[in-house]
Amino acid sequence: MSTVLVANRGEIACRILRACNEAGYSSIAIYAANDADSLFVELATTSVKLEGESIAETYLNQKQILEIATKYGADAIHPGFGFLSERAGFAQAVIDLGISWIGPSPRAIEMMGDKMTARITMKAAGVPVIPGEEIEQEDEHEALMAIKDASRRVGFPLLLKASSGGGGKGMRVVNSPEELDDAVNGARREAIAAFGDGRVYVERLLSGSKHVEIQILADKQGRVIHLGERECSVQRRHQKVFEEAPCPTMTPELRERMGKAAILAAQAVDYEGAGTVEFLLASNGEFFFLEMNTRIQVEHPVTEMVTGVDIVREQLRIAEGEPMSCGELNMRGHSIEVRLYAEDAANNFLPAIGPLVVFKPPEGPGVRLDTGVRQGDEVTPNYDPMLAKLVVWAPTRNEALQRMRRALEDFVVLGTTTNIRFLRELCDQEDVVNGTTDTTLIDRVWPDGWSPEISNSLTEAALMIAGISEGSGKHRKSNVGTESTDNGPMSPFSTLSRRFP
Amino acid sequence: MLYEFKIDGKTVEVTLAKSDDVWTLSGNNASILSDGRIRLVSKDGAIFFAHSAKVRDTWWVHIGGHTFCIDHVEPGAAEEDNGSGLSAPMPGKVLQVLVEVGQVVEPGQPLMILEAMKMEHRIVAPQEGIVSVIHFKEGDQVQQGIALLEMSL
Repeated sequence: MSTVLVANRGEIACRILRACNEAGYSSIAIYAANDADSLFVELATTSVKLEGESIAETYLNQKQILEIATKYGADAIHPGFGFLSERAGFAQAVIDLGISWIGPSPRAIEMMGDKMTARITMKAAGVPVIPGEEIEQEDEHEALMAIKDASRRVGFPLLLKASSGGGGKGMRVVNSPEELDDAVNGARREAIAAFGDGRVYVERLLSGSKHVEIQILADKQGRVIHLGERECSVQRRHQKVFEEAPCPTMTPELRERMGKAAILAAQAVDYEGAGTVEFLLASNGEFFFLEMNTRIQVEHPVTEMVTGVDIVREQLRIAEGEPMSCGELNMRGHSIEVRLYAEDAANNFLPAIGPLVVFKPPEGPGVRLDTGVRQGDEVTPNYDPMLAKLVVWAPTRNEALQRMRRALEDFVVLGTTTNIRFLRELCDQEDVVNGTTDTTLIDRVWPDGWSPEISNSLTEAALMIAGISEGSGKHRKSNVGTESTDNGPMSPFSTLSRRFP
Repeated sequence: MLYEFKIDGKTVEVTLAKSDDVWTLSGNNASILSDGRIRLVSKDGAIFFAHSAKVRDTWWVHIGGHTFCIDHVEPGAAEEDNGSGLSAPMPGKVLQVLVEVGQVVEPGQPLMILEAMKMEHRIVAPQEGIVSVIHFKEGDQVQQGIALLEMSL
């Protein structure tokens, strides 16, 4: 293996391209025209432009990507997450060209990717699943009838899930039978738009549970290990926003049992590479299989911070056919990740767009930033609104929270609305402080939506800053309205009178 | 110096005094640093280092861990009328139009479904009324803040 093509964009493409550079591989980035100036394009040895405009014509265009891989001599493809990462057909096509697929076998992707098949496979392997029913009917009307039938047995509130689903798309909470028709139609429509597959199944809604997932690594030598858990209970619209490792209520005994179940799940599909087995953990210690993500995950950094394992580097190693380099599981300290989104948290988390006129991340010990953007970039509606992942590590959970609060207050983003303040206030919530978070936290704490708590004196100070900025003509000093540091006359050589020999 | 701003929909007048390089407002003192940031000492002695940047007419201000959007109102600028139009809360695509012109709608009734980043968002009637204009049809791309439909009450 010498040249890795990264079939992705943004933050995760940066993460993988840097790992390739560090490991001494040549790398190929592929990019759509509207990504020509994006950070990830700079990080690759070679960057190749994709023809076409829509996502389907570019990042999801298997034929075009495979042609580039062949033409530019890629001998491995890393799919990242999202896009083609869980398309078994693409993995197979890559393998058929004699190129290494950095991920599990197409069969494993297929069995885990179809959520209904995964449920059936897990039940057979002895891994506990959430009470619910698979809906086999493909016809829209028949499926609706079958869901109505199943809903009576499963009971309300229930959760409709797209069999091809992920990322909260095609998912609906249904509180009563009256809502069912609308919810099924909405979930189907969203699932067809996102995945081209409208099949939806039914699970009981286990509210008050924690979302706990186990990171898995499996190499070609047959070794399967787990790297402990991450807790990702805090979600808005079924998307995670706050993740941590370890889970604050975990016990060594429960970790052992969940780890074993996750390894069993991986072995049931002859898993290879990095993967994540997601569970719901009830307050009584009972846990249920949710799904397995057959790829690198957004929140993988928190595991890296507490285990010292470079998961992407291990993926490359495993794809190369080498044994993984991890020893005994040794978790140290506590790590928290928050996802920075360009979104209006005070307005139902609606996506926002705009220029990143100022983008100044926090610094200091135990602070890690994984991002695909930099100051001057434009946030567009073309792609996912996640701007960055801010990750902290500290010896204890309390210190990690303190560090996260400080880092979020230091994070300056101007020109585009972000959820930074929301995340900062989230860190003060009693359940977050106590580690008793569950999946209903955001709706419970802010049933009527979140709005920032701002003192009058701070608002007054902000108005004063705006007045001074306007009055000093600050925005006229540079033509794009950025701070004068960015392109102002700040070189010491232009102001110093001393001559340098 | 007097400036007029709009913050959270409210119009506020800010009167600043300046002597040498120090600006003052009701006990707060501030000065511009060489890197463009502004150092502010509040009346109770707290020190802040603020960032600001202007996009069109809006000042973005970061101070004390908060970010503010403050619109500068040019002297003599006319108030824009938002009227009874229903605007797009985000950029996206019109997935479905659920009503027709002339239709009587009830509060909370879905009027249109928008899609952005593959997520659906419903535009609902804020109150009872009659749909008077529909600006977009299914499949149209819409920008954030643009009027989607109009209602007469």
